[in-house]
Amino acid sequence: MRTSLLRMLMCCLLLPLFSAGQDSASIYTAQLLQPPADSVRTQAIGRLAALRIPATFPLLMAINDKKLYLLDNKAVTINSDSSSKGTYQLYSLYPNNTLLINSSGQPLLLPLSALKTVDIPRADRLLLAGIAPLLNLFSNDPQKRILAYSQLKHTSDSITLRILKAALAKESNADALRTGKDALYAIQLYKASSATNANAYIDSIADNWSDNAPALLRDYARSGFLNQETAQYAAAKAVLLEKRYDNLQRVQHFFSGLSLGSILVLIALGLSIVYGLAGIINMAHGEFMMIGAYTTYCTQLLFTKALGIPQTDLFFFFALPFSFLMAGSLGWILERLVIRHLYAKPLESLLATWGVSLILIQTARLLFGDLTAVKTPQLLSGGWQVSPHLTLPYNRIFIIVLAMLMVLFTYLMLYRTRLGLQIRSVTQNRQMSACLGIETRRVASITFFIGSGLAGLAGCAITLIGNVVPDMGQTYIVDSFLVVVTGGVGKLAGTIVSGLGIGFFTKLSESFFQAVYGKVFILMFIMLFMQYKPKGLFPDKGRIAED
Amino acid sequence: MKTKNNTLLYILFITFFAILLPAGYLTGLLSVNTISVWGRYFCFAIAALGIDLIWGYTGILSMCQAFFFCLGSYGIAMHLLLKKTVASGATLPDFMAWNKIDTLPFFWQPFHSFGWSIVLCLLIPAAFAFIVGLVLFRSRIKGVYMAIITQALTLAMWLIFLRNETNLGGTNGITDFNTILGYPLSSSSVKLALYLLSLSMLCAAYYCCYRITHSKFGKVLQAIRDSESRVSYTAYKVTDYKLAVFVVAALLAAVGGMLYLPQTGIITPGRMDVKASVEMVMWVALGGRGNLKGAVIGALLVNFLYSICTSLFPDSWLFILGFLFVITVLYFDKGFMGLGDTIRKKFSATRLKTSQTH
Repeated sequence: MRTSLLRMLMCCLLLPLFSAGQDSASIYTAQLLQPPADSVRTQAIGRLAALRIPATFPLLMAINDKKLYLLDNKAVTINSDSSSKGTYQLYSLYPNNTLLINSSGQPLLLPLSALKTVDIPRADRLLLAGIAPLLNLFSNDPQKRILAYSQLKHTSDSITLRILKAALAKESNADALRTGKDALYAIQLYKASSATNANAYIDSIADNWSDNAPALLRDYARSGFLNQETAQYAAAKAVLLEKRYDNLQRVQHFFSGLSLGSILVLIALGLSIVYGLAGIINMAHGEFMMIGAYTTYCTQLLFTKALGIPQTDLFFFFALPFSFLMAGSLGWILERLVIRHLYAKPLESLLATWGVSLILIQTARLLFGDLTAVKTPQLLSGGWQVSPHLTLPYNRIFIIVLAMLMVLFTYLMLYRTRLGLQIRSVTQNRQMSACLGIETRRVASITFFIGSGLAGLAGCAITLIGNVVPDMGQTYIVDSFLVVVTGGVGKLAGTIVSGLGIGFFTKLSESFFQAVYGKVFILMFIMLFMQYKPKGLFPDKGRIAED
Repeated sequence: MKTKNNTLLYILFITFFAILLPAGYLTGLLSVNTISVWGRYFCFAIAALGIDLIWGYTGILSMCQAFFFCLGSYGIAMHLLLKKTVASGATLPDFMAWNKIDTLPFFWQPFHSFGWSIVLCLLIPAAFAFIVGLVLFRSRIKGVYMAIITQALTLAMWLIFLRNETNLGGTNGITDFNTILGYPLSSSSVKLALYLLSLSMLCAAYYCCYRITHSKFGKVLQAIRDSESRVSYTAYKVTDYKLAVFVVAALLAAVGGMLYLPQTGIITPGRMDVKASVEMVMWVALGGRGNLKGAVIGALLVNFLYSICTSLFPDSWLFILGFLFVITVLYFDKGFMGLGDTIRKKFSATRLKTSQTH
């Protein structure tokens, strides 16, 4: 609504200018492209620069960037990056700036050899230096336009204002539009002579809410430009914006805490079940996460290199079950070979599995080298823009959803299936369960399979937010053990609560202290917490003898 | 029989390290670096004795010994660096000047004097161990919980030491010293002296630990390892015993660290990361826990193997270490020192079986 009004307003304003300048612009353009003499071209460029007619800006831009070509005696320019075959998309320059299409409706692609280059001497190009910032308003690159808009804030001549409006009417990028409007309102605010007008512009700036809106309003308030009331009004608006921004930041922290917590829960779930069931401290658990991440990487390689499907998100959705199965089976093998001999010897198992983790890390390093990365699927890149200053990345949302699904899956497995019943009974009393005919060894190896698989799944999810390195598991292993210890061993609810809690606290304390001190703070907190609840959040009730 | 065995071992150890190695150096057969490397291993062995006391004899797996070791090293390093800075006429160590700090932080001040440095190097780890131990043992945290929390503590401290704001040299650590008490560190006689000092400290530490484990105090420690609740039922204050042994172990680690620094000339936070702290425990496990000789031999052997393997086949050291971990834990519960026992037991078991079947 506002933009269309703006556009109408602008048409009314620009019409007289156009009708006056249009004819002379066409003449100068023609002179520029086919000059009878060099001096005529120099003059034409000088005139066009002086006239500052928005419609000629694409042409002048092309001259400035040395990208002016002729195609059938019409001025065209190329976009900055070439296609794979060395051909370029073409844009007409004057009087319209549009993409050229061929007869079948596809963009016209031509190599440079099919175009005639128009050489403009450097001295002539220098004539454009004065309006170069304005030219960038019509650049094809949104980033350049944003920069150009933000440089305009303190100009106030009416021609610049008109050009700015013309540029805004064409603007398609949301961020650039916000910056541009910001510049426009700022110029108008400083021009406003009545309090009501000024207040209206202040409101507009506040509504538009670009990144430096609070700073802009504060500057205005400090200058006391019009009178005391408007200054106060601007200051109040600035405070309001900052407060709102802080609130959004808090939501952002909350969100990243949630996503960190979800990762911790994903890793700690398997750890907790395995520890509860078999009394095993699995230091190699983090390495199963690493295996999951490398499985994802291999799946990607398989899809792009072996199967030749270059751009697809499909690989990721295959990678999820693959990494579960891969990590799970390796976990199962590990259980068969090593862990089986260490039941109920937690300290010994800690050392042995540490050895296993060293072997796995070194194997990964020899196989894959030091640093690899998985390309985030298109579907999960970007984010959900809740408001201009709050973007929730899709990959983190995905991780949270995945964690919730896995918690649900684990809950159903533990409390709704026969296997879950057996797992819980073995956790409670191994010998008694064996007496009652439960094959405790089989239950243990299945549990180990599931636990390692969950870690693999976590690894697959982590490729969305970080690099894949051989010792990535060690970054998370101590944290996830803290989750298990705080939550109480073998307790689903405890793992969830403490995982999310530690995630939140970490992110929360990071916003107060630096990341490192946040971690130290968390640790102190956990140590104090253990003073009161040495068996974790949800200890076993009843008299279960300790020794 | 047993004492005779022990005496023989002691005599062998002393002849080899106190007479043969220095003699080898003096006759020119060994380079001074070899001597210095063994001196470093002795420092690890001193720390390993502490781990054996707390883990092998008391059954508490403490993963923060590497941190105490580093505390000792850092203290001496700060002293040496300050001495060098003052001698060169500067007011601040180089790395602080690079970090744009203009006054020496308060906790660096006492390290100007050698005596204070020694006292603080012992006092700080002891106080730290006392506070942490008090908090943990009072709430009856033990076993795995203890291991995880002390590991997390080491991790947190590692992160703090990595930072530049803590003024401890950050990732690069503290290095580049030239003298100790006025003697140049690069001279071979100083290196030999440090080697002999480390060796005698190791012998002294071994003697102390031997006396501790054979005293009534040591017996209570072993009783705690075997059944903590029964000890507490018989009116022993378990917490006090654990706290005492934790502090002693921390002190031993710190002494090792203090001797280690002048012989390597650098200390970085890498000495106390997760890997280093587990490895320290592994020395004792490989040598044989609950056996003081095992701890010493484990520390010497693993480090000797490390220096051989990393120069011969650098890629496979982690494989070797990993397999050693797994195999020791699975099959040689008593470690290297218990190797003979384990094999004899296996052998007699099979013989018993065959004799039964006949």
